[in-house]
Amino acid sequence: MKNTVFKNLLVPILATALILAFSGLASAKAIKIGGIMDTTGATSDVGKDYAIGMEEAFKYINEKGGVNGKKIKYTWFDYGYRIPEAITKYKLLKRLGALVIMGWGTGDTEALSPTVNKDQIPYVSASYSAHLTNPKKSRYNLFFSSDYSTNARACLTAWFDKKWPKHPDYGKRKPRFACAYMFASPYCSAPIKAIKDQAKLLGFEIGPDQDVSLFALDTKSQIMALKEFKPDVVWHGNTTMSVSATIRDAYALGLGADWIVNNWGFDENLPRLAGEAAEGVMGATPCAFYGQPYKNMDIVVATAKKYHPGIPQEKRLIRTVQAWGDALIVWEALKRADKAGDLSGNGIMVKGFETMKNFDIGLGASPITYTASDHRPTTGCLVQEWKNGKFQEVERVDLKARWPEKWEKEWLGW
Amino acid sequence: MSSVWLPCGKYHQDYAHDQGWWQTPVIKGKMILLLATVFIGIPLLAPEYWVGVGTMVGYTAMGALGVQLLIGYTGLITLGHAAFIAVGAYTSTLLVLQYPWPPFIVRWGLAYPISIMAAGIVAGLWSVLFGLPSAKVKGFYLILTTIAAQFITVDFILTQYVSQIGGRGQAFSLPPGTIKIGPWTIDSEVKIYYVMAVLLTLVVIVMANLLRSRVGRAWVAIRDNDIAAEALGINIVWYKLLAFFVAGFIGGVAGAFWVSNTAALSPEHFPWFWSLWLVGVILIGGVGSIHGAIYGSMFMVVIMELLQLGVIPLAEYYPKLLIDFAYVKDMSFGLAICAFLIYEPNGLAYRWWQIKNYFNLWPFSY
Repeated sequence: MKNTVFKNLLVPILATALILAFSGLASAKAIKIGGIMDTTGATSDVGKDYAIGMEEAFKYINEKGGVNGKKIKYTWFDYGYRIPEAITKYKLLKRLGALVIMGWGTGDTEALSPTVNKDQIPYVSASYSAHLTNPKKSRYNLFFSSDYSTNARACLTAWFDKKWPKHPDYGKRKPRFACAYMFASPYCSAPIKAIKDQAKLLGFEIGPDQDVSLFALDTKSQIMALKEFKPDVVWHGNTTMSVSATIRDAYALGLGADWIVNNWGFDENLPRLAGEAAEGVMGATPCAFYGQPYKNMDIVVATAKKYHPGIPQEKRLIRTVQAWGDALIVWEALKRADKAGDLSGNGIMVKGFETMKNFDIGLGASPITYTASDHRPTTGCLVQEWKNGKFQEVERVDLKARWPEKWEKEWLGW
Repeated sequence: MSSVWLPCGKYHQDYAHDQGWWQTPVIKGKMILLLATVFIGIPLLAPEYWVGVGTMVGYTAMGALGVQLLIGYTGLITLGHAAFIAVGAYTSTLLVLQYPWPPFIVRWGLAYPISIMAAGIVAGLWSVLFGLPSAKVKGFYLILTTIAAQFITVDFILTQYVSQIGGRGQAFSLPPGTIKIGPWTIDSEVKIYYVMAVLLTLVVIVMANLLRSRVGRAWVAIRDNDIAAEALGINIVWYKLLAFFVAGFIGGVAGAFWVSNTAALSPEHFPWFWSLWLVGVILIGGVGSIHGAIYGSMFMVVIMELLQLGVIPLAEYYPKLLIDFAYVKDMSFGLAICAFLIYEPNGLAYRWWQIKNYFNLWPFSY
């Protein structure tokens, strides 16, 4: 009996495993790219769409011949937003020979940054933390979008430029500003120092911070605390789910403040979740929203339809486009490094990424530039507002143009 | 009774022999082989990735040993041990990054070793603070007070105050080359592994010695029946607090080690789930046994990694396997605990004991 079970089950399983293992070897010449994504954890409300978009982007890149004819083999894992898990996954991807790794959260990206630098593996993540933009400290960390600090400064500046002059108290007193974010999360807290600095620069009165969890569904106590301070504008640095819960509560309790939101909290789901409360909410947009008419958007939409026809188009988010943004800069860097004949980590960085000057990904993002001394991809950020049922441009703030001295000397890396 | 089977005709002749660690040449040989594997075989022969997995096992084991001491040996159920690991990690990081050491301490690479000791002591004292309710309550109520330790320490004190030190948001990042022990900069997978192996060995030695001393006997007496223990003249409050101190100390050392592994720190590294995970580790490994905590860690870390490696070649054909692996991992954790509680409630340590007995008694089954 035991023998039959052995023959019937174990032998076919072993044979299949062997075939699969060898078929893996057959594609060993492909350029290996790893991914560490969050599709089940605290930031999965935005992470899921990003992960799907990333996978689609690499499939499209392979359809187009890969990197100068070399195919890309993209292997990715969900790490559930657990940092120790991300570290194990990173080690595994390194062992599998990943040339570039597509990462996710700020906590894990910052935790891995020293290791990534030592291993010289370009790590293109969805964390746009400004801490990662100073090549002296984190040479191998990259992303395509304006960093969180730039987003925060730009949003506050846009509000100050466009909304404050229309306020009845304009000219009579200083505008009041407060922050709501999850203190414990490095993503949420990354731009707080920068936005408070900007608030001081623009002459705001700064109120007490409110701790709002990324899992928050009820934020009434934080809104009540804000009501005491009576802010005119509040920065929210979380992701969409908790941002929508907060602005809904603020609307219900009549806080009366405007909201400016970091890019991971500002997407097509915000008005769906927050309803009327989303009217007038402003946020940083790193690129175009899904389906907006830009040069390469047709490709994004067509690829999404082709590879995941089961996901309704109206459920797609800007997160897919963001994933494409990161995938496209990696593609470009790999092509350039490959042409230069150096596909090592350092080669991809020096002969790939750091040769990009005003590179346009064609998805509504600001042109991207990396230099050996500055990895801030863009000098400003587009601020949009949800108004009358659609996203509308408020202002494209260029920080470098407005504060050139500070941009060059002070703001790099924080 | 000693658990060691002596060859026929040999007897323990004194207490020291009865309590000795390595009582027969076979055991001595086995242990030397084990130490050679841990200190020479794995770091020198295993690929870097598996050395990293070994580090994870060691780190988990250190955390689990603290939990084992409280739950397995003293009967004090804790669900907040990640808090003490966090206290250790923060103490060590702050001492290494912020404390104005005299230059010779930094030059001689003593800052990190000192910080490991300090991390142990601070975490131990912090643990005693949350162990105080154990004088009055036990069981379910003690679980709640230890959960409170997690929330008060990680979510409130560390998040709101301690992690603000340094002015860079919530995260501390240790520049490369910061962690030094004497002349060695801890900057490679193998060096990190060695730090882990040395610390884990020391922790095991300290714990094993404590457990066979008067203190350990008192802890076990409290675990088995605290009223009887008190009647025997054991000061149960003192010994319970001592257990909290030692468990916290071990947690603190584990936290200080964690910093050398990740080179970064934020409150997100110490979720409550980690406390729960450590309890799962000792349940699987075997409650009330030092090597149980280590087996449990090996099981939870290595099995999961092997499972993942098994899934990778299949993922080309069934991509969902890889994508949903985090679910599988969480599910396996729950399933493993259920399966062990039902089929092997004494954990892997008991199974190991049975295997040893089988060979000791062979060819007679009993």
